Amino acid sequence: MSKSKSVILLIVYTLVIAVLCFICTVSFSYGPDNMQTFSSVMRMMEKDADLGLAYGANADAGAYIGGGYSAVYYPEGVISAKEYEDNIRDMSEEDAAEYAAEYVRYPDENGAIYLEVGTACDENGAVDAAFAASFEAAAETVTERYAGLRVDGARVDIANDYTVRVFLPAMMDSEYYAINHFSYLGELSIRTGSSEEDATDVFGIRSNESIADYVSSVTSGTTGGTSFVEFHFTQDGQEAMSSATSGAAETAVTLYFFVGDTAIMSLSVSEQMTGSSIYVTGSYTAETAAVTASLLDSSIGAAEDTLSFTVGDAYFHEALYGGETVIMLYIAFGVLFVAMMVFFFIRYRRLGFVHLYTFLLFTCAMILCGWAIDFVYLSVETFLAFLLACVLLCASNIVTFEAARKEYALGKTMASSVKTGYKKSFWKLFDLHIVLAIAAFLVSAIAIGSLQVAAFVLGLAIVFSGVGSLVVNRFGWAVMMGTTKRQGAFCNFKREEVEDE
Amino acid sequence: MSKNKLLPIWAAISAVLIIAGIVLMALLGFNTALDQPEHKAFDVYYNVVVDLNEESKASLEAHCEDAFSSAGISYSDRVTLDGQSDPVSLTGTSFSETGNDFLLRYTFSADTEDSALAAAKTALESAIAADGAFATPAETYVSYATVTQQPMNEAIWRGAVGIAVAVVVALVYVAIRFGAGSALTGLVACVNDAFLVLAILAIARIPVYAFAPMLYAAIAAMVSLTFWLIRCIRLRENAKDPAGSVLSAEEAVGNACAATNKTVLLTALIAAILLIVCAACTFTTGAMPVFAEALLCAIVPLYSAMLLAPALHCKVKAAFDAAKAKRTRYTGKKKSAKAESEN
Repeated sequence: MSKSKSVILLIVYTLVIAVLCFICTVSFSYGPDNMQTFSSVMRMMEKDADLGLAYGANADAGAYIGGGYSAVYYPEGVISAKEYEDNIRDMSEEDAAEYAAEYVRYPDENGAIYLEVGTACDENGAVDAAFAASFEAAAETVTERYAGLRVDGARVDIANDYTVRVFLPAMMDSEYYAINHFSYLGELSIRTGSSEEDATDVFGIRSNESIADYVSSVTSGTTGGTSFVEFHFTQDGQEAMSSATSGAAETAVTLYFFVGDTAIMSLSVSEQMTGSSIYVTGSYTAETAAVTASLLDSSIGAAEDTLSFTVGDAYFHEALYGGETVIMLYIAFGVLFVAMMVFFFIRYRRLGFVHLYTFLLFTCAMILCGWAIDFVYLSVETFLAFLLACVLLCASNIVTFEAARKEYALGKTMASSVKTGYKKSFWKLFDLHIVLAIAAFLVSAIAIGSLQVAAFVLGLAIVFSGVGSLVVNRFGWAVMMGTTKRQGAFCNFKREEVEDE
Repeated sequence: MSKNKLLPIWAAISAVLIIAGIVLMALLGFNTALDQPEHKAFDVYYNVVVDLNEESKASLEAHCEDAFSSAGISYSDRVTLDGQSDPVSLTGTSFSETGNDFLLRYTFSADTEDSALAAAKTALESAIAADGAFATPAETYVSYATVTQQPMNEAIWRGAVGIAVAVVVALVYVAIRFGAGSALTGLVACVNDAFLVLAILAIARIPVYAFAPMLYAAIAAMVSLTFWLIRCIRLRENAKDPAGSVLSAEEAVGNACAATNKTVLLTALIAAILLIVCAACTFTTGAMPVFAEALLCAIVPLYSAMLLAPALHCKVKAAFDAAKAKRTRYTGKKKSAKAESEN
């Protein structure tokens, strides 16, 4: 490659990397009174709710990412001590005494909840066995729903034996929707009528049957940007739905989908339904559709006379790892980056720039993917995966540099040394990268939660590392090498000294 | 002593640790103390009509500290929570701050005595009643609750299945490229490392986040795979050399290990330094244990790559070489030997 061609290519290469680095990492405000903000890709990248960070132009005003929301589900017959105090405070003595007789503090006189006599316990405070069993079943249902969301950080606790405390990370878009909907308990029913109140069951379920004989499952999906909830019917269910909507072509029929006594959604039908499944669209997002489907699906096998929950005590929690974690991760990356470059510049002199360019391109590619791919986000786990891939990239570059160094020492030209060095190390690096990438993507395909995302990031970073070390690095080397005549000194490579006989 | 003679020692060490770890995992699980799966929460609500000023918040916290020290108990965590609108409406879309609902939540270990918490509650209520700054209409409620996390195990078993499948498939590739013997040793090394990391966490009762053990097992398996691939690549390279192809299994493995020990050690060292730097930088945050504990994922595969896997592969390679020789009816002269004799 001629020197002028190398210089032009090097300038273009440098500009591309500089622009990428700028877009990926630099945020700033501009315009009159700094009202406009340019957000870097790194800032826009989704971040794990466990990592807290004051965020964006409104950071000083308390804008904050991370953390999450908790709420407490109180079953029928259970209230918080705070609610009890609030209720009784302004009552007359007589009313207060009557009210006090209706409740027993649990588990003792300092407990955080009150149980209603007759519903949850007897006058002596002994918990009703049927209530305890119903609560246990309800808590299990709620836990299954939250687990089914597969949201990293979702959590369900039992507090004081008879309340359910739930937590969802703020990185979800619909925490409110999920916490609210997952509190509904009872059996799924599909009703039709002129209004919610007058609606009657479509299936006419007999005493020896359940809704599971008519509805096999409820799932969700997204097609062409539209999210939907899909009901799958059994043969009997299909026939019942067909019969219930037989006159829909003449007069629209409204279907109401209930969980227990709460109407979750309604659907206006203008033609007879004969298929084995129906799709309900609306203003659903993928997340809200999944929550609704999970709620309805888990209600198929639910008992009819189950408990009902009241939602209360909602609070915002700051990030689990603390507010400075993201900054600390950036600092850690900075320290490691400097250490890495010091090593490369000492060992390989200006050849270190070849590695620097490859590494920056690799990092920018990862940042852009982290921002562009929906389910990828920055977390401690993904950061760890990224760092491991960085080690692989550095090691791969060292392998190729050392292979070329050996060839050069034998007396070959630099071009020949690089060519032979790459030829000798190509299959080693290819095998290493392909095996690790396959393993990482397979873990990602099967695992869920944070491990899935971390494994995906690792797989992606390994692919980029392979391309970086085997293609980009070689290109960079060729370009930079063309700008100098003293190529050995450029790379800090030396010829093997042979003693004259 | 040669490498393969030490195999029973390394195998015994691994087996004892893994079996003990599996027993402990089955009986006690991991020590997920970082997630506080069981704890007691001491809640101090300040139910105010107007915002509680910062001075009063600080004063409330000071009263709590006094109450806990007088009751002889200490908390592991304290959070200040802002009240949000309760999610009661089907048409509601998002939480919003209520503005005047303030909660101080202290977390105590599950074995904290209820009587001590009750004493702290009484002391705190008295202190608040005696403090003029907390006059009515504001009311303070103090309560405590025992909290137990509900298990969500899908992530754990799916993670385990994912790692197992990934390792097996990756080693199928190794079998195709480097031979079945190498894949077998690699499989043993990967499984050993993943289990050994889990076993050490379970035996030493190292506090972890619930998601972490599977992450560590996956990283250990990947690092183990990397180290073993480095060995395999060198073994194959040496085998291509006419001089290397006539070596015994033990000599071949020994040569390959000698040539790659530096690479393996350096890679492990770099990984360890990287984790130490990350742990040091995040020392003040909750992310520190994740990095610190991940050091196991560099140390355990290093043990396996330096000691167990080479010793095992001497035996495996010898067995595979013998089987190969038996299968071959006529070996003839090797190409290199033929060429030499012709010259």
